[in-house]
Amino acid sequence: MTIPVSNEAAAAAITTAGASRVRASRARSRLQQSLALYLPAGLLVLIIAACFLYPLVGNVSPPVGGSVLNAGLPAGTPGFPLGTDASGNDIFSRLLYGGRVSLEVGAATQVIGIVLGGLIGMIAGYSRGILAAVLMRVLDVLIAFPSLVLALAIAEGLGPGELHVIWALSFYSVPAFARLARAATLRLRDQNFMLAASMSGTPRWRIAAFHLAPNLLPQQLTFALLGAGVAIIQEGALSFLSLGVPPPGASWGNMIASGMQTMSVRPSLVLLPCLALLITVAALNLMGDALRARWSAR
Amino acid sequence: MTVQSTNRTVTANPEAALEPPPGTRSGFQGPGLLRSSLLRLAVRRLLTAIPVVWGVTFLGFTVLNLLPGDAAQALLGADATPQEVAKLSRQLHLDQPFFTRYWNWLTGALSGHLGSSLGSGQQVTTILAQRLPVTFELLLFAFVISLLIAIPVATFAARKPGGIFDSITTFIALVGLSIAPYILALLLILLFAVNLSWFPALGWTPISGGLGSNLRSLTLPALSLGFPIGCFYTRLLRADVLEQLEEDYVTTAHAKGLAGWRVLMRHATPNSMFGLITVVALNVGTLLGGTVIVEQIFGLPGIGEELFQAIQTRDFPVVEGIVVVFAVLVVVIGLLADLLYAVLDPRIRYDNPGQ
Amino acid sequence: MTGAGAAAGPGAAAASVAAVGAGTGSPTVLEVRDLSVRFRPRGRDEVRAVSGLSYSVPAGRTVAIIGESGSGKTASSRAIMGLLPRSAQVSGSVALSGTELIGLSPRSLRRYRGQDVAMIFQDPARSLNPTMKVGPQIAEAVRAHQKVSRAAARERAIELFQLVRLSAPAQRYDEYPHQLSGGMRQRVMIAMALSCSPKLLIADEATTALDVTTQARIMRLLTELQEQLGMAILMISHDLGLAACYADEVVVMYAGRTVERAPVRELFRNVRMPYTSALLGAVPRLDRAAHTPLPVVQGRPPDLSADLAGCPFAPRCPRAGEKCAERQPPFAEHKPGHWYACWYPLPDGADRPDTPGGSGSPDGPDREGQQ
Repeated sequence: MTIPVSNEAAAAAITTAGASRVRASRARSRLQQSLALYLPAGLLVLIIAACFLYPLVGNVSPPVGGSVLNAGLPAGTPGFPLGTDASGNDIFSRLLYGGRVSLEVGAATQVIGIVLGGLIGMIAGYSRGILAAVLMRVLDVLIAFPSLVLALAIAEGLGPGELHVIWALSFYSVPAFARLARAATLRLRDQNFMLAASMSGTPRWRIAAFHLAPNLLPQQLTFALLGAGVAIIQEGALSFLSLGVPPPGASWGNMIASGMQTMSVRPSLVLLPCLALLITVAALNLMGDALRARWSAR
Repeated sequence: MTVQSTNRTVTANPEAALEPPPGTRSGFQGPGLLRSSLLRLAVRRLLTAIPVVWGVTFLGFTVLNLLPGDAAQALLGADATPQEVAKLSRQLHLDQPFFTRYWNWLTGALSGHLGSSLGSGQQVTTILAQRLPVTFELLLFAFVISLLIAIPVATFAARKPGGIFDSITTFIALVGLSIAPYILALLLILLFAVNLSWFPALGWTPISGGLGSNLRSLTLPALSLGFPIGCFYTRLLRADVLEQLEEDYVTTAHAKGLAGWRVLMRHATPNSMFGLITVVALNVGTLLGGTVIVEQIFGLPGIGEELFQAIQTRDFPVVEGIVVVFAVLVVVIGLLADLLYAVLDPRIRYDNPGQ
Repeated sequence: MTGAGAAAGPGAAAASVAAVGAGTGSPTVLEVRDLSVRFRPRGRDEVRAVSGLSYSVPAGRTVAIIGESGSGKTASSRAIMGLLPRSAQVSGSVALSGTELIGLSPRSLRRYRGQDVAMIFQDPARSLNPTMKVGPQIAEAVRAHQKVSRAAARERAIELFQLVRLSAPAQRYDEYPHQLSGGMRQRVMIAMALSCSPKLLIADEATTALDVTTQARIMRLLTELQEQLGMAILMISHDLGLAACYADEVVVMYAGRTVERAPVRELFRNVRMPYTSALLGAVPRLDRAAHTPLPVVQGRPPDLSADLAGCPFAPRCPRAGEKCAERQPPFAEHKPGHWYACWYPLPDGADRPDTPGGSGSPDGPDREGQQ
């Protein structure tokens, strides 16, 4: 950005009054920041626990294999706390198992993104000469390429299934992380601590691994939280388009798709998975946002 | 105008020409110079963009080819005999080696022919011409909605950060940007189309059918796309405006005795737009991606829907054509963003930054 | 104070127009009485940035407020302009030509801001809107207070550019801040401040960000404008040398309080408060032996959120006694015109570390500084 960014903290510290103003506002926002971080984090933990742990200990009906005789039961029916869908499957359990899919996809895509994309981006930003030029161009192409097409094509080509969704969506996350890592590397590369490291004779790969990478990590992690939300939404989209987890398997996306047909008579079939998606992604976004605020205040 | 002639007199005057203190650019920065530096910027960016677009087309072709599944097979259906499939493959030139096909496509594309759909035989360019306007209109509408949300809300919220309006809108924005477009689409349909019947749930009325119904048919889809993005922009803009309000020139503006709202609207907000421009340009891909499902849900005949069908039927030319369109769009919008920077920020415009 | 005003006034030019504004009957433009500024951020102790500040600025005169970072000098000037954040509580009295400014509604205060009292800031590079042409920024200031047409405002802006000796004024109107040098930008800021002919100009570290030559030029411009317009100047700085050259009266602040206040010649001749003496000593001098370390005051300014018993400078004062830590010395006019707050003030003329000088002036204030 070309507008000079005013470092409010530094400028205000010129006067003690200003410094204490900054100190004070930091104290007040420290409480706010903690709340802003731990509340959604707690919600997320709750969701993860509900989806992964609760079916193991609680009394949850299976998400698939329901009998048509049980179709269309309303919420509150014993054994089916939220009712059943058109195939007689328990909605509550489908929500939980669908959540598993979403969370797994979200986590996996981001991990692949950080590892592969972060690495590529870091190398692209840190290297010089031909390697840098080539990588830059490749990254540009990847970023310009409509990843949507890629994801659709791959999902279509590989066929439905959670693992294929993860591969397909990784083609989305890897360039995103690569771009982030490259930009951050370019910014960090001329900083004093990097120059100091290189002047001390440390080989470049060591500098990259032990000095550069740790400084990239916070931003990448924050981005991962936000990216997980995006991936979960995309998984939902793919499943909605019948490219993700195929029915009868549970996924929030395909629950929405099948629920759409009876939306006017039984909106809960659509509303519940929509809400689940919304709450999970919102929690991820809130948490990612709080982390970013906390780490940039330093 | 009088002023212009005065200036010209000043620079034409040899004594005045010796006068300007060091650090200033000599000569008068007239509009002609401005246009040429903008033009140079545009040309430079276009040149670097060409290899990228080419790379994109190549990558697309490669990916599509690597996909399992045969286009001819897909077209004829599962119970076609191998001979029939082979015959169709030959007809559609699908049996030729990869590079030959790519070369044929590339040369064709450069002369403006993007091939024809494997399924319908229609010219890809015709298909694109039919469907692009729909998607464009949808995207434009969504973009306008997002700005209509972001700019007023962010500006107003920045007036009293931490206040009631700010807290409420921040929370709504955070939740709002977590809503996937397709989720919002369904919720909107439930609310407005099914229950209230204010807007149609399906279908697209072209402008020829009346501007009113054209807009009505696009309102819900545009809202589904525009609202989440608008929330995202709101947060960004609010942060930027708050940052600008800490700047010294804002203190100067207050010291001049300007009213608070004027300081905001005339000084802080305009200078906060740069971050927004960057993000808008970066987000084009996401917006385009959103159109696929939204068009599906609302039954809009746009390229999103076409893309989805084409991938399913392995219709290479169509997919490739859409890939090109997407890539060009991203590049063009990136270029427009750069140009907009230069227009809005005078410091970029001049090669020599003065000091 | 009159004599000090004429003799210690800046530049040879001053002597020739000594009649202007040099009369004893100069009306007081700014009267600050017992000004206190406290910041009460949420959930934290309140910070007393300024406590009990009192001084006055007569028309046509320059008063310098000198202090280090954290002394409260900037906070006090912002309080006059009403530019403090909402968390600030201001008490006391600030009277601008008789009108009380404290307690005015923001809307009413806005009428005075830019019109009767104007301010120029430290960093002209960042004090101007980078995406707006320089001329319209002045025109905006004009139209904020006067109902004039755009064309008339433009004319006035160009006129102001001429007033501040900006070359090619009509051309400057359409230029952007980044096209101007630092000195030119500060002239633009001055033009902006003068747009409505204010009675008082507050210069908050106005030359700190400029190189020495430009600093001298800008200060000279300010003093010339002061004579021309009969305007009072409140100069805020950390540079005692600057005050020596250009101020009529000096107010020294420490930890939010005034510790010494005197006409400039009197201050330098008979400095009383050890803090002021230390400030004087810290001014680099050309006639000291090379590589002589600058005498630096040990320690740091006190935390303004804590309750201070006794003199705030006591922990760092070489002359401190027991009384100093226990009871705060009263800020009183121990000699006509010379106020200070100290239990063990320095004696007459003695114990000065050096004759004071400063950037731009070869000798003390006895000689009219030739720039």
